Amino acid sequence: MSEVPAVEVKDLVKDFRGSFRGRKVRAVRKVSLQIAPGEVYGLIGPNGSGKSTTMKALLGLLAPTSGACAIFGRNSLKVDSRRDVGFLPENPYFYKHLTAAETVRFFGKLCGMRGRKLRERVSELLKLVGLEEARDRRLKGFSKGMLQRIGLAQALVQEPRLLVLDEPTAGVDPAGSREIRDLILELKKRGITVFLCSHLLEQVQEVCDRVGIINQGVMVKEGVLEELISLENRTELVLENAGPDLRDQIRLLVEVTDGARMVSEGKARTTLERLFLEETRDRPANQKNLQDDE
Amino acid sequence: MSKSTAPSFLSPRRILVIAQSTVTHLIRMKVFYFLAPIAVLFVGLQFFDGLWYAGPDTTLVEQELRMHKNICLGTMMLFGCLFAVVSTALLIPGDVEDRTLYTILCKPVPRMDYLLGKLLGVVFVILVAMAVMDLLMVATLHLRVEAKLAEITELLIDRGLPEREIESVRAEVAAHGSTLNLQYGVLAHFLKAAVIVAVALLISTFSTSTLFTIAVSVMVWIIGEFQWIVRDGLFNDAEYGELPTTADRIVGTIVSVVFPDFRLFGAIADGASRAQTVIPSDVGQLCGLAGMYLGIYVVLSWFVFRDKEF
Ligand SMILES: Nc1ncnc2c1ncn2[C@@H]1O[C@H](COP(=O)(O)OP(=O)(O)O)[C@@H](O)[C@H]1O
Ligand SMILES: [Mg+2]
Repeated sequence: MSEVPAVEVKDLVKDFRGSFRGRKVRAVRKVSLQIAPGEVYGLIGPNGSGKSTTMKALLGLLAPTSGACAIFGRNSLKVDSRRDVGFLPENPYFYKHLTAAETVRFFGKLCGMRGRKLRERVSELLKLVGLEEARDRRLKGFSKGMLQRIGLAQALVQEPRLLVLDEPTAGVDPAGSREIRDLILELKKRGITVFLCSHLLEQVQEVCDRVGIINQGVMVKEGVLEELISLENRTELVLENAGPDLRDQIRLLVEVTDGARMVSEGKARTTLERLFLEETRDRPANQKNLQDDE
Repeated sequence: MSKSTAPSFLSPRRILVIAQSTVTHLIRMKVFYFLAPIAVLFVGLQFFDGLWYAGPDTTLVEQELRMHKNICLGTMMLFGCLFAVVSTALLIPGDVEDRTLYTILCKPVPRMDYLLGKLLGVVFVILVAMAVMDLLMVATLHLRVEAKLAEITELLIDRGLPEREIESVRAEVAAHGSTLNLQYGVLAHFLKAAVIVAVALLISTFSTSTLFTIAVSVMVWIIGEFQWIVRDGLFNDAEYGELPTTADRIVGTIVSVVFPDFRLFGAIADGASRAQTVIPSDVGQLCGLAGMYLGIYVVLSWFVFRDKEF
């Protein structure tokens, strides 16, 4: 791989000073990871396993105790490494006195954008995240899901090549998190590298090319998602309108085949999530959010 | 793909963006509403009309005008400095607490730019507030002086004083009205407030709570007002046959280096309200001193803030 990796974390160690007595807490222990441009990488692990700490070190909000982080080859401790990255923090919070459009514009200006280009970009992003109707409302009354979307819009404002998302769907209802997932897939299509973390596994499964599993600050497993979760010697088939005769035939066929075995059989189920999504589909998400606030 | 310009250290445009957002923030916190009671106070001063004028001796009139100026200047100073402390202490620890700072520093924003933007924003709001108060002071003072002059002239004509003498009395009274000199006093107070913003900025870079920042900043402000008295006491005991000890000298030097010394600021404002002529070189020295303090505190703030973790 001659290409410069989008993200490179090398032997990252981060200690936090605990109490006054100076007992150190090691939050991240020698984590290394690389993300190639265009890849979607998911870091999963339980609460307190060091996901946010790793991301903050990557963005230069924390200085590593040892090891180093780089974004497109630029050291994270240097300001210019932040030119090509958008960050959505965990539970983002913005100035309550600004409107949605003003918030995105503010961050655009910080990135050196201005004029018509910025105005167009703001409208485009608000449309992308589904906040057009709320564009001139102050963030004071925004719901969690709306803040999350504003966070995504500000992260994307300067068209960064890398997006770092800390628990992007935490606290968002299933319809909202489905939209966020679709958005991530859309961004992936456009060639944007995404580094996200979550403790909700199904969500990672749907969007990530590669995942790393982190526990107590240690990277315990890393690899291509397909390889990590597929059971090589098993096949699943789902049938529709199959009568008892057909099922008997199949069972028979399996029995006479050498080495093959029927592991399970039963009614296919929808997931609770899919059910929820179907039942709530007619209500557009932002309208629902607006109603929440009133 | 990124079209943004390279983030240079100290980009004036980015500093202005942060300053502007700070100003918007303060305006939307409705800080300018504080000007309403102040306006009422300034206008209300008119009604404390001295009925004290008695003769060609203008001392009483001068005292009355000086009271007016003292109250106005004092209000401006108090408002400016308190505003400096409170707004800086609300804004920066607030940003840290709300984690709004995360998102700002994750954009290509050097930390120095953030600090300077905040400083500039707060100082700008103080400038506007002071300008409004200044205007009110000048207007009310003008009305008052005009009323006094009319009163005095009438009285003196009644007494049959020669015109030349009346003129000189009028000129004396007018000198205690709104003059350029008075504006130096306003400048001194504004610069003091600006220095206090920088002090509060420095404190808020290492404190995490608004209350702590306010308490310590007010303490530094008070020490700044009075440290010269203490130092005078330490160093000039010689008159009483007691030489300052080395320890005294060391303490005095440390205090004067660490804390701002507002003696000159107060002296110039006082001179202005007494209608003494302010010497331009003093004003130059005042500006230099304020600039030096601002520079020192901003650089110190940056040293603390540079390696801060969030
Ligand atoms: N600023 C901090 N000071 C002290 N300890 C911290 C700090 N930030 C995180 N930690 C500790 O580091 C560990 C990892 O935290 P974090 O990275 O936030 O976990 P995650 O995001 O995976 O839930 C936790 O045990 C947490 O208590
Ligand atoms: Mg976390």
